[in-house]
Amino acid sequence: MNSPRTLAELSKESSIPARTIRFYIARGLLDGPVKAGRGAAYTNDHLARLEKIKKLQAEGKMLSEIAHDLAGNTPAETAAPSPWLQYEVGDDVTVMARGDVTPWRAKRIRAAVEAMASLLREPETNDTGRKYK
Amino acid sequence: MNTAGSFAPLDAATGQAIRLAMQRLWLTGQILPAGARVVVQHVFQSEEEKALEVIYAFPLPRDGGLRSFRIAGEGFEAHSELKETEAAVEVYERGIANGSLSALVRQYGDGLVNLTVGNIRPGETVTVYLEILCGVELNDGGFRFRFPFTLAPAYHSRARTAMTEPGEGEMELPVDEFADMILPRFREDASALQQVGFDLTTVTRLTLDEIGSPTHTILVKREDDRHANVALAIEHDVPNRDLVLDVAFKTIEPQVLAGIGKDGKGHFAAVVPSSCFGANTEAPRRVVILLDRSGSMKGAPLQQACKAIDACLGALSETDSFGLVAFDNEAQSFQPKLVSATREHRDQAHQFLMKVSARGGTELGLGFLEASRILDGSGDVFVVTDGQVFGTEKILELARRTRARLHCLGIGSASQDRFLALLARGTGGVSRFVTPSERMDLPAVDLFASIGRPVASGLTAVGKIQPAPPSHVFGGTPVLLFCSVDDIAGAEIELNWTGGRLSFPMVLNKIDIADTVWLLQGSRLITDWESKYPNTSALAPLEVRRENRVAARLLELSRAYRLASREMSLVTVISRPGDHAGELPETRVVPVGMAGKTRFSAYFGGLRIGLARPSVHADVLSASFVGSDIGEFSLAPIDRDAAGAQEVGFTGFLRANRPPSPPPDQQNPAADDILLDLAARIESDGGMPGVDEESRAIASVVALLAFLAEGHTVTEGAFRSHVAKLVKFLESLKGLTSKHQATIDAVVKLANKGDVPAGDWVNIACTAGDHWRKVETAL
Repeated sequence: MNSPRTLAELSKESSIPARTIRFYIARGLLDGPVKAGRGAAYTNDHLARLEKIKKLQAEGKMLSEIAHDLAGNTPAETAAPSPWLQYEVGDDVTVMARGDVTPWRAKRIRAAVEAMASLLREPETNDTGRKYK
Repeated sequence: MNTAGSFAPLDAATGQAIRLAMQRLWLTGQILPAGARVVVQHVFQSEEEKALEVIYAFPLPRDGGLRSFRIAGEGFEAHSELKETEAAVEVYERGIANGSLSALVRQYGDGLVNLTVGNIRPGETVTVYLEILCGVELNDGGFRFRFPFTLAPAYHSRARTAMTEPGEGEMELPVDEFADMILPRFREDASALQQVGFDLTTVTRLTLDEIGSPTHTILVKREDDRHANVALAIEHDVPNRDLVLDVAFKTIEPQVLAGIGKDGKGHFAAVVPSSCFGANTEAPRRVVILLDRSGSMKGAPLQQACKAIDACLGALSETDSFGLVAFDNEAQSFQPKLVSATREHRDQAHQFLMKVSARGGTELGLGFLEASRILDGSGDVFVVTDGQVFGTEKILELARRTRARLHCLGIGSASQDRFLALLARGTGGVSRFVTPSERMDLPAVDLFASIGRPVASGLTAVGKIQPAPPSHVFGGTPVLLFCSVDDIAGAEIELNWTGGRLSFPMVLNKIDIADTVWLLQGSRLITDWESKYPNTSALAPLEVRRENRVAARLLELSRAYRLASREMSLVTVISRPGDHAGELPETRVVPVGMAGKTRFSAYFGGLRIGLARPSVHADVLSASFVGSDIGEFSLAPIDRDAAGAQEVGFTGFLRANRPPSPPPDQQNPAADDILLDLAARIESDGGMPGVDEESRAIASVVALLAFLAEGHTVTEGAFRSHVAKLVKFLESLKGLTSKHQATIDAVVKLANKGDVPAGDWVNIACTAGDHWRKVETAL
């Protein structure tokens, strides 16, 4: 059945409070009603989208992730979880590196990051090697 | 104050005007020693081209309750109605569907509240005046009032966080536990958010001594000895921390706030200082110290906590027994059982503390279970935590099941203050809460001095006192009583406890405070019942809740006191010409600033080595997004360090006194740091260490003088237990030369009177030299 329904009816069918549905619309998770004004109507597509949001939430996704996925981007769930390391090598520089690499590779990365941090700690110079004052 | 021209905040980075849904949050009202009755003014102004629905989320303060609201704008004004929550939501939604201006105030678990105002027209300004009842943290000499201007993010094992854009993060809680409650977005920089400020009056029965604030610059105007006006000294502030006001009295004595209410009955609140009940007993103590080592305690809080625990252990004698547990996602014990407080065990505890580092989440429940297991019977648990957790009702349920009394020393924001106060009260203990800009070590030592040895036990009150008084009274914490009587003439309060009795008459106040007192009683009762209502029960269908004892009691209390609870909400709908039925308003959630000194990266975008980011960063989503299991594991607030602790937080006192203590300076330790070290070094027999009796004697004399010089006596000050131990040790000494014995006798005599001869005793206590001569000269 694709008969149009009101927000109250959509809320009842989906068991999602009307305020939450408006919040989803404002966040771009759900399209607005197909008709504006007094006869504002919601369709089966709205209901299906709400069910999908509920399902993704139950899987532990945040609304921002769900919005990202539903917008047609690469679904986040297909990306295998992988740990990342964050090295703050300076107040204005952060280096991120995968944490699930081999110990040998991790050692190389660590050395490179330390070298970078050391370089950044040196006084800044211009192209001619003169130190800035 | 003219604020009309300042309703257009600019983005500091771009200089562009920011379109805020809420422009102003202003607090007015009256603060009593029994609690406060305040009105929070929320000004919403729509910059949208269509109707606007604004959601503002805030936490209730300690013992907070929602009374009513008034909504006003150009050409209209309406007052809220109190309805059963389902009915209130229905009224609100019908109003929205009809295109009418509608407002709903609904309470959720953890004392979180959503204020929703819908169908604000384009360009329209709407003001909501929400009346709130607030409890205060009492101490014998005064009280602390705390009001949340922001909402702090907190730990929940199933919460999820994301950084939605640089400097802005969001947090979501599980729907099955928190339903449709909407949290705000958290802004690292709150400077462009709504303006906040306050203008309050304090009314007491005792003469005021000091009024100060460790959080805001205040302007205090005394109207007389017992009344003062306290306002923000600058035009407005930013919503990135709670308002904290400290009120101190000149004297310590019972005070009764009483009056005749609109119902013709007499309503009163009585604050009875612990000093009215007697002194600490000398019974051996059984105490487990429970230290929160979660990530959010990193830096100064954890360092200070460890130092304070060392000093606390110095207050124990060999007849006392103790345990020590550090917890985050797991609990780790120093010993599997209680041990006697010998020097050897204290040294082992010190080594244990040296290895404690901040990490992981705040699984308080795990900590309680471990502490309870170690206690293995009755006793006290001393919890040192920031208590930054959601889902507190579950933890409270668990804590009540243990037989231990929980005493809490908390650091953080108002919502956690509410939780820790409930935790302590629900188990028969007491609590203190400090702001992130204050030291936590001295309050910890102070609180520890009173626990385990109540000044009164088996306390009962004659008459209809509700809620019932605590069965035990602890030094430094007064007893607060609420009661209503049909006829106030000749009425008096009578308290009985093991070995004691106290009564005093009810005297009417000149200012009409009866209704406020009555509402504070209702708010306190509702808060207590709310704490027994886990979300799983509170979110059950109506037909199930009708069978629930707590739900029934909350309904009954809400109706009796006309206060909201999770069972009853506040709502109003205003029909106006030009309402467009069916028009969908644009929903906006009001962002808040990060609370106190909590670093943004601790919750949003921060990483722990070896674990991945649990958040979604817009520009790295596809590359680095991680699954739920890892996300859950790394959700703990992880990164508030000492440096960060100094980034935020402005403190000022005008006529206010006691500025907050600065963080300890490692190079030039403050007197308090030296005292903490001295306290930690005290031996189990009460004396300072030394190579022989004579060296121990003089070290103890100088240490005692150092404590006295800083205002700590046998009965007053955070180090009162240590002072008492030193005095007892010195009194027990024999075999010294008559000259030294005379010096000791003179110092002990002074100590018992709370006097101290002139001298730089704190520095002398930590330096070598002929101290006998210095003391003799000074005497």
